[in-house]
Amino acid sequence: MRVKILVRLKKQILEPQGKNIEESLNNLGFDKCSNIRQGKLIELDLPDGLEDRNTYIKTICDKLLVNNIIEEYEVL
Amino acid sequence: MSLSSAVITFPGSNCDRDAQTYLEALTGQDTHKVWHKDVSLPKVDLLIIPGGFSFGDYLRSGAMASKSPIINDVLKHADRGGYIIGICNGFQILTEIGLLDGALNRNINLKFLAKNCFIKKNHDNHFNKKILPDHCLSIPVAHNEGSYYNSEEGLKSLEDNQQISFLYCDEKGNTTDQSNLNGSLNHIAGITNKKKNVLGLMPHPERAFQDFHTSQDGQLILESLLG
Amino acid sequence: MNTELILQHGLTLDEYEVINNYMQRELTMEELGIFSAMWNEHCCYKTSKKWLKKLPTSNDIVIQGPGENAGIIDIQDDDAIAFKIESHNHPSYIEPFNGSATGVGGILRDIFTMGARPIATLNSIRFGDLSNFKTKYLVNGVVKGIGHYGNCIGIPNIGGECEFDHSYDYNNLVNAMAIGHVKKDSIFYSEPKTIGGLIVYIGSKTGKDGIHGASMASDVFSEDDEDSKRPSVQVGDPFMEKLLMEGCLELMDAKLIESMQDMGAAGITSSSVEMASKGNLGVEINLDRIPLREPLTPYEILLSESQERMLAVILEENNEKVKNILKKWEIDYEVIGVVTDTKKVIFKSQDKIVVDLPVDIIVDSAPEYDRPFNLPLKHKVQKYDFNQLNIETCLNNLLTNINYSHKAWVYDQYDSTVMGDTIFEPGSSSGIVKVHKTNKAIGATTDCNPLYIRINPEQGMAHTVVESYRNLVSSNIKPMAITNNLNFASPLDQNIMGELVLSIHGLKETAKYFDTPIVSGNVSLYNQTNDEPIKPTPVIGCVGFNENYRSVIPTHFQNDGDQIFMIGKPLDLAESPYFLQDQLGLSNINEFNDLAKCDFALEKKHQDFLFQMFEKNMIKSCNDISRGGPIHSLITMMTSKLGFHIQHSDELSLFSEYLAGYIMIIDQNNSESIVKEAQAECIDLMHLGSVKTDTIEINEFQPKFNIVYEVYKNNFSDKIKNYHDN
Repeated sequence: MRVKILVRLKKQILEPQGKNIEESLNNLGFDKCSNIRQGKLIELDLPDGLEDRNTYIKTICDKLLVNNIIEEYEVL
Repeated sequence: MSLSSAVITFPGSNCDRDAQTYLEALTGQDTHKVWHKDVSLPKVDLLIIPGGFSFGDYLRSGAMASKSPIINDVLKHADRGGYIIGICNGFQILTEIGLLDGALNRNINLKFLAKNCFIKKNHDNHFNKKILPDHCLSIPVAHNEGSYYNSEEGLKSLEDNQQISFLYCDEKGNTTDQSNLNGSLNHIAGITNKKKNVLGLMPHPERAFQDFHTSQDGQLILESLLG
Repeated sequence: MNTELILQHGLTLDEYEVINNYMQRELTMEELGIFSAMWNEHCCYKTSKKWLKKLPTSNDIVIQGPGENAGIIDIQDDDAIAFKIESHNHPSYIEPFNGSATGVGGILRDIFTMGARPIATLNSIRFGDLSNFKTKYLVNGVVKGIGHYGNCIGIPNIGGECEFDHSYDYNNLVNAMAIGHVKKDSIFYSEPKTIGGLIVYIGSKTGKDGIHGASMASDVFSEDDEDSKRPSVQVGDPFMEKLLMEGCLELMDAKLIESMQDMGAAGITSSSVEMASKGNLGVEINLDRIPLREPLTPYEILLSESQERMLAVILEENNEKVKNILKKWEIDYEVIGVVTDTKKVIFKSQDKIVVDLPVDIIVDSAPEYDRPFNLPLKHKVQKYDFNQLNIETCLNNLLTNINYSHKAWVYDQYDSTVMGDTIFEPGSSSGIVKVHKTNKAIGATTDCNPLYIRINPEQGMAHTVVESYRNLVSSNIKPMAITNNLNFASPLDQNIMGELVLSIHGLKETAKYFDTPIVSGNVSLYNQTNDEPIKPTPVIGCVGFNENYRSVIPTHFQNDGDQIFMIGKPLDLAESPYFLQDQLGLSNINEFNDLAKCDFALEKKHQDFLFQMFEKNMIKSCNDISRGGPIHSLITMMTSKLGFHIQHSDELSLFSEYLAGYIMIIDQNNSESIVKEAQAECIDLMHLGSVKTDTIEINEFQPKFNIVYEVYKNNFSDKIKNYHDN
């Protein structure tokens, strides 16, 4: 099965990318967007019958995919 | 006094040769070259984790390097009081391993930044004890993710334990927004661990020591260690 | 095989007939694809070959001239320097980040494929009108791409140029130059020697990148073309290339490689054909053995331009050792074929032969054209009215023109000190690095004056080349050899063909006179969109040498009180094209007078004088005079604290161009001596004034130093900042 993990900077961390995207959109005439944040999507395949799938995903996030000091994640 | 030393090379490290040249010139001894897949470090006084783009900076800078086989021995070396200097990507790797607190984020202007900057000593330690309090060191930076971050508690802990080794400043020693070129928390350019045997810093002292470099201030860090 | 298919592959019907007559049979699709790649302009130089053959390409210091992946010159003892410049123009317009990044990747592979460790890069980039949103987007993407690739792989970017002119509005130019260091007995060539030698594939897996990239470079764009061409742009991985570079250099260090060729334009096709041709041998390759990223047809494999791949020939007995070294660096490696004595290029797939071509027909019979060309029309003698201009307006025009502005916004994104051997970073007269573990210094510069070349291609080229010499000489670097990147519009236009022919002629004459052979280079044609051609832009990459790194000379002012001297012959304002363009606003070529003739003898005389004065430690810093005249040279030499105070009877001439012009900064105590030295050599030396803290003073004119310095530093970054990207 395909797993999608969304990794984002924690809300309290300054995130200049989102601000820049907002300004770019404004410059192009799209001024209705606000509060933009940018994250990254990690997609991977796991075997369908994997036992303790959620634990497995949590472990790989904690061990490598996510830096818990500044990032948070969500399995989509 | 002399120092025996080693430099670790990860796939994508590109300042390893520079670190080696720096160590050999200033310690007068050959430096051991260590590959990231080696399981043990030679017994040395000082280990440098060099700058570069280990593992392409993919996923996060230093994330994958921090899982290399050699890291176990790096932790043991730090545990028994051995010195470590993590430069640029090396600093990022040390935070990913957990030997240093906090994390390095994208530069505030979102661009790679390569220029000379000034840093000054803040809290005392073995790596800056030969540097006078009002001496502003001119040292090049070259990074995309150099903005130091920590939580409020983390920052307080660094302050309480006197772990903030260097701050970005202007040539007069003032810490200003402009001199904080990557937007680091509290102008932090380099920190140590609690035991103060591990230093991480974003600027590159190994690019500021030879007679033809624009500055020789990088020597002062090794000279402090050499006693 | 039908007409449409042939034309779609970029071949003319005449060219196909040559192939058909030779082969006496129809080609397979794969074979057609091979000719499409190998017979286009980018690979076979069919338009320019006839003229390039006339260039001087050898002398005592040339170890390798044009014909290999890079040129190589001898820099004494057992050291040699490999260097080359190459373009990646069309891809950079379509996808600026990846287009320019892969340009850097490609040129670096050309260097390390010869066994040389890359030690520096330079970039010459040109864009259109910066007030266009599209131009800003391109500038951001290109600078980011060049920085991304060079920074990651860890090679310092030490110089280059960045120019803006509306003729590049739809055709921006990205020329990437690289320099490498190699020991003379460790140079590797692309010529295989052993029949039965294994042909091996090293590097990234092959995907659909850039299929027909080489053909794309030879097409003229029409404005709507971008989206349909986007999927074929190559994406680069500098981390992969760093591993590839270290792996290959380690293999070469261990003498495990017989020959090596990088897979660049036209991928495995060009590298295998060129190898066979060089060795006068044949190759037989099994396409099923090639590591793939995704399913590809044989046709696609042959034309893929996936990056970071090398082709090598090794002896069978070394296979295991090679495998082990590449395994350490985690690089894909496959034995894919064998060197034969058939003088044929044979590709197999699924046990069927899909390509069976004699090497001759692909390489030796590649078309060479003698395209008709026009000589430029004679310029009428013109007079101009300079009455509206005074020193204040001229300075203002200079400071507000981004072509004169400080470019730190660009080069602060490039790591210029990695590898620890950089002596002069971008912003100096030339980029200079020390050769590791020696006392030698290598200097390099890229230059072009498209306006001059449009006015008079032959003289314009001569002026460009001597300017590149001046940039090196002013740093106390002796110019040794040249690499060139000829960027032109469509050669089917006889006027443009004339510019190509005559500028090559100008390069030939100048290089011969000064004994600086052309050892490598690249041609990029068809740089035009909707009938709007670029200005002729033959970029010169000049490399030079000083055996003692301690004696190189900085560009900037050093101390308050130092004396400013000048040598050189000012051009009449009416004969100073940049003055006329940038101060009077002239733009139509017919409005300009002809170029003043380049004065080789004076250039040589001043070069010799400067080297003598450097030898005697008389000069503290030095800069050449070119676009913007002595004033621009002086502004470039300023620091945050040091300006200048000068007197001159003809204020406007301080903005004009010069012949053999240099600004020299002399310690006060040496003022009398330099005057005597100049007299002894019959050099016209002029004392302008002195270096002065916080001051700009030209006769009575005293603008505020801080304001001028700030505008100089920030004009460009202010104008580019209005584009945001993340």
